[in-house]
Amino acid sequence: MNRVFVLIGLAFSNALRGIRSASTTSLMAVLTIAIVLVLVGGAALLVHNMSSILDEFGTELQLTAYLEEGLSEAEQRDLVERVAAAPGVERVELVTKEMALERFVEIAGSEALLAGLEENPLPASLEIQLRPEARTAEAIGILEASLDGLPGIDDFAQGREWIEGYARAVSMVRIGVVAIAIVLGMAALLIVANTIRLALYARQDELEILALVGASRTFVRVPFLLEGTLQGLLGGALALFVVWGAFEWLQPQLREGLELVVGRAELHFFTTAEALWLVVSGAALGLAGSIMALVGGRT
Amino acid sequence: MRRRAANATGEPPVRMYHVSKSYMAGQYALHDVSLEVRRGEFVFLTGASGAGKTTLLELIFAAEEPSEGQILVLGRNVARLGASAIPALRRHVGVVFQDFKLLEDRTVEENVRLALDVIGTPRRDARSRVFGLLKSVGLQHRRFHHPRSLSGGEQQRVALARALVNEPEILLADEPTGNLDPDLTIEIMDLIVKASTRGTTVMVATHDHSLIERYGKRVLRLDGGRIVEDVPAMGAALGGGP
Ligand SMILES: Nc1ncnc2c1ncn2[C@@H]1O[C@H](COP(=O)(O)OP(=O)(O)OP(=O)(O)O)[C@@H](O)[C@H]1O
Ligand SMILES: [Mg+2]
Repeated sequence: MNRVFVLIGLAFSNALRGIRSASTTSLMAVLTIAIVLVLVGGAALLVHNMSSILDEFGTELQLTAYLEEGLSEAEQRDLVERVAAAPGVERVELVTKEMALERFVEIAGSEALLAGLEENPLPASLEIQLRPEARTAEAIGILEASLDGLPGIDDFAQGREWIEGYARAVSMVRIGVVAIAIVLGMAALLIVANTIRLALYARQDELEILALVGASRTFVRVPFLLEGTLQGLLGGALALFVVWGAFEWLQPQLREGLELVVGRAELHFFTTAEALWLVVSGAALGLAGSIMALVGGRT
Repeated sequence: MRRRAANATGEPPVRMYHVSKSYMAGQYALHDVSLEVRRGEFVFLTGASGAGKTTLLELIFAAEEPSEGQILVLGRNVARLGASAIPALRRHVGVVFQDFKLLEDRTVEENVRLALDVIGTPRRDARSRVFGLLKSVGLQHRRFHHPRSLSGGEQQRVALARALVNEPEILLADEPTGNLDPDLTIEIMDLIVKASTRGTTVMVATHDHSLIERYGKRVLRLDGGRIVEDVPAMGAALGGGP
């Protein structure tokens, strides 16, 4: 047991020795990981805030189904129940012809416009509130198609078009961020792998001597894995610090701009768990890079 | 000590049966070599350059695999050792080379300790053993120096201490004095002989005939990859060596 602790201690001290003896290349690896994570983390923060704005306004994204004339009250109630059971629907509200008229009058300010008409021309409708996860263009399309066949429904109207466009923009940006994260992550991985590979070459003599005195593969390899992981950890921490600094710096201006456009704006930084994720992904990048180096090169 | 007990049956620590090694098809670095080295025995390997001395030693510590034949080292079939069994074998086999193979960025003490580090020897235990070994080669006062600041003879003594610190059953030395002048050569060889008198089986490859004559040990002469001569130690017939 004691020996295991000794070996773990040695693995750490060998990893630190490795970083110290190749401080320039190590620093390059740390900075590469930091730059990649600043870009990805910054973009993630942007998406995060864009979608939290969406959450606030998303409740106004709803689908209206206009009903055919002459449905009985029972038929209307039946329709409400069936629509409420459709996937993605949070709540259904029936707006009768009378209610529609009342609203119209309220908005128009007088009955004068309708004075010439004998009958109420406004149709009854169902106002369909969507669940948060269904507030996307595709989900609304699918819902619309599935409700289209129901007897009694005449036509649909979508409310708040801008929100829908915005939601589409958010999901596109999100896809973009994931794509960028993958590409940049791969680049960082290769650079870290290369750094570790250089370290392997630079320490070829040491590896040979270790092999001669009976070092196991684990004894030889673990310090390199630790080295990569430590570099990644440092890069991740650095990135978190930079993203946080940039956020604090930009937040006042951004908030002002947003208030003009959408009325009110709360900008959020990462939660502690998310911030930890950023640092941990740095460590994971470093670890994966060093595994790549060890698998790719011979030790 | 504890490890030696396992081998106290008198089984020869090094045995080769019809061993050949060929790096290129049709060319043999070693050809049909059979030999046995007894426990505690001291053997010189000699022969012209390219005769196969280094190759023979490399086969014993599993740096190379034989092309043909069987090699038993400490009862293990070296030809069939898995990747994880090789380090385990090497912890029982100390090796010394002409070029010392010391790490320049570590102190003398750290270099010697390397052989203990790889088996996770606790720091305090390791320190005292390293000190003891350095003392036996007369370098305890240099333990915090770096190899660069040491003479060739001193560097080789450090390498020897590293090879012996783990109390190996076998010590292999490939031209250990090839880079040293005659005085230092004797100094190093005396230390190696001392190790063998404590029960370590020793094989030394050398060109140096004066050494062979001086020590009067068993000599295996190689030529073109074959053992062409096996001269027993002087007085071996009387008492079975030292
Ligand atoms: N890694 C290798 N690849 C190809 N051929 C090799 C290799 N190692 C040794 N040889 C060949 O095997 C033969 C024996 O070499 P070896 O190094 O064992 O000789 P040696 O007796 O140690 O010579 P020296 O006294 O010069 O050290 C030589 O012909 C050499 O060229
Ligand atoms: Mg040789």
